[in-house]
Amino acid sequence: MALLEIKNLSFTYQGASNKALRDINLEINQGDFVLFCGESGCGKTTLLKLLKKQLRPNGSLQGQITYNGTNIENLDEKQSVCEIGYVMQNPENQTVTDKVWHELAFGLESLGEKTAVIRRKVAEICGFFGIGSWYHKRTCELSGGQKQLLSLASVMVMNPSVLILDEPTAQLDPIAASEFLQSLRKINQELGVTIIIAEHRLEEVFPMASKVVLMDKAQVFLCDTPRNIGQRLANDDMSHKMSLALPTAVRVFYKTQGTGQTPLTVNEGKQYIASNFAGSNTTCSFEKASRQEVALQISEGYFRYERDLPDVLNGVDIEVYKNEFLCILGANGAGKTTLLRVLSGLKRLYKGKYRLWGKKIKDYNGNSLYRGNIACLPQNPQNLFVKSTVYDDLMETAKVVNANVEQCKSMVEEVAQKLDIAHLYQSHPYDLSGGEQQKAALAKILLMKPSIILLDEATKGLDAYSKQTFAQVVDALKKDGKTIVMVTHDVEFAAEHADRCAMFFDGQIVSCDNRVDFFATNRYYTTATARMTRPYFTNAVTVDMAVELCNLNKGAK
Amino acid sequence: MKYFDRLHPAVAFVYFALMIAISMLTTNPVVIAVSYLSSIVFCGMLIGGRQLMVSLAYNLPLLILLSATNPIFVHKGETILFFLNDNPVTKEAILYGVFASMMIMSVFYWFKCYSTVMTSDKFIYLFGRIIPKLSLVLSMSIAFIPKLKRKYKEIDEAQKALGIYSGKGMVDKIRSKFRVLSILLTNSLESSIDTADSMRARGYGLKGRSSYAIYKMTASDKILCALFILVGTASIVLIVLGTVDFNFYPTLSPISLQALQIVAYAIITAFAFAPTILEVKENVLWRCLKSKI
Repeated sequence: MALLEIKNLSFTYQGASNKALRDINLEINQGDFVLFCGESGCGKTTLLKLLKKQLRPNGSLQGQITYNGTNIENLDEKQSVCEIGYVMQNPENQTVTDKVWHELAFGLESLGEKTAVIRRKVAEICGFFGIGSWYHKRTCELSGGQKQLLSLASVMVMNPSVLILDEPTAQLDPIAASEFLQSLRKINQELGVTIIIAEHRLEEVFPMASKVVLMDKAQVFLCDTPRNIGQRLANDDMSHKMSLALPTAVRVFYKTQGTGQTPLTVNEGKQYIASNFAGSNTTCSFEKASRQEVALQISEGYFRYERDLPDVLNGVDIEVYKNEFLCILGANGAGKTTLLRVLSGLKRLYKGKYRLWGKKIKDYNGNSLYRGNIACLPQNPQNLFVKSTVYDDLMETAKVVNANVEQCKSMVEEVAQKLDIAHLYQSHPYDLSGGEQQKAALAKILLMKPSIILLDEATKGLDAYSKQTFAQVVDALKKDGKTIVMVTHDVEFAAEHADRCAMFFDGQIVSCDNRVDFFATNRYYTTATARMTRPYFTNAVTVDMAVELCNLNKGAK
Repeated sequence: MKYFDRLHPAVAFVYFALMIAISMLTTNPVVIAVSYLSSIVFCGMLIGGRQLMVSLAYNLPLLILLSATNPIFVHKGETILFFLNDNPVTKEAILYGVFASMMIMSVFYWFKCYSTVMTSDKFIYLFGRIIPKLSLVLSMSIAFIPKLKRKYKEIDEAQKALGIYSGKGMVDKIRSKFRVLSILLTNSLESSIDTADSMRARGYGLKGRSSYAIYKMTASDKILCALFILVGTASIVLIVLGTVDFNFYPTLSPISLQALQIVAYAIITAFAFAPTILEVKENVLWRCLKSKI
């Protein structure tokens, strides 16, 4: 008998007219590692929440979900709490208490365990996850990745047999995300805990899964092993949206109409290319953007937050040209966001020069810096919204620049058209999906008519499809003559869409080049495609470039 | 780690409660001086000499200011030293000012020691026992404050960079802060839904919730606690019974050194300096152990 069985499940939220889930049939066995993927809003979260009795949303449900043969609804409260663990997306919000030890003990306290029992279990869990050294720390001192690991540990301490995770790495940087996924693998492999996870970034988690469930429009679109998914997608529907999110190796495989076993990892992909496409065509041609005038420039900039603290910017030199899209990449805590703060004028260099359109930043008085010159999209777009509908919010901003209501209206209309958000006018900004929020926030910024737009990790937590839409928006902005600077961890996005990329390390820009040469030269900090195609191709940094070379070599043969 | 930090929270709490009570119960200059000195010395041990110097740099001028205020406004007392604007300045009023402000300062330093030792989780542990729900609420609010602070800063910067407010002029400033607060409120409400889910997912609301703590009452904790209670209450009893009563007005009462008074002073001094002595003892012990290694 399957551990979890979902039979003919349909679900409609209270007050909604459309079904959030339609005719879902799934079986999940003990020890499975099930990966749910699909565009945001396809019903992943709803399905996962329905599996946990305590989190069931309100609405009408047909069909049933059974756990060990018992309907989830009829499960004993305690059993449901202990045996089905649930980890959410935002590490910040799911941390409840102020101390690490208290957070770990929280679930066991709820179960009414004795102090001695709690002490033993918590000690064990600390050992398993290697987090003993944080035991006495305050939760607010932890980094995002550490917090998420703590959330995982504080669920695992109750010894669940099923662990449900809803986009657990969406808010983490790549290193922390990878560490987190390794912990999941360990839990699955060493403890035999069944893992059910929804994710957008599939590069790493895809090969780990024993079963992948692809969801589309409230339905299960495909459900198979990772290797078969690759093949079936290749056979079925080449242009399926979800294929964008698949790991590089899989995408290269089906775009080159590969046969045989699907490669899942970079290593397997490399072998696939070696045996099929090694040939004389090794270099892609690409277009280099022509340089225009300098939009902003920092020379030998130094910045620190406090006198006694070390320099965060340590003689940084950066030039951004007009009408280009520059991505600044770098490790967590390297000071990328600080650089952005300096660029946006929120912080001032204590040494060095910062010129914007050739004029010293100091000479921009009051708000002149932010009106028509520079605008910054924060990491969390929610930080911008004030009003209760998108339209009111945009109008409010428009009124700052225009006196005339009619002018405001036409301005909002124009921006909304450009970003395709007119249909969201009456929604509450918080109800939008991540990608939509991003666009609404961008619209708000565009109303200030900036010539330079600064983006802080704008692709964080977005699914592959929203990312593509976002890239289109960025392209459109570039066509309008805007200059865009983005700090990001997302190497794949940078490799595909940036004009130039810069590497930030130790308070300085250590390398800066056009996107292809940048990632082709990098050995470690580069895209999966570049790692996979080397040494057969010299500068294939995106999937499309790799596929192009593959096809050329195939034709030559 | 300091010795007092390692004590069971209840022991430390008992000590501070008794000591602060003693410091406030009497106007006896000897007791006040003892309390003042011991509080400063102990505080120095807890926060380090440099930090102490910094705080004294603020506190000593304040002490002088407070002391000077009393004789300017109060003209009681029989020993007139001189006239200020035709008002008599008396020796009694001056001394009362000095000791009253010393008392305030000693209480201040005891509280400083208290807040260094009794971190939030210790406090929660102690009072969570009495009201289990409260302990969780306290713990959650303490976790919430740094989150809120960080969010506030984030939102403030986001709004500033949007260029909607200029930040010049009082009205504009207030309006902009109001905006930030309103966003913060919506934001926090939104995130608290997640927090509630996370709590429910981990069984919050089930019957028979227990309360876990990392503190253990050891035998030496118990002995020390008993000693503190004994000596502390003895001091308070002696004070309340009037053994060390002292009046500043109209004339200073003499400080008598009868057997009973000597005993009272000895007990209070011993109690006041107990933490310092324990800390020094610990340091010496550590040195000995280290030299043996």
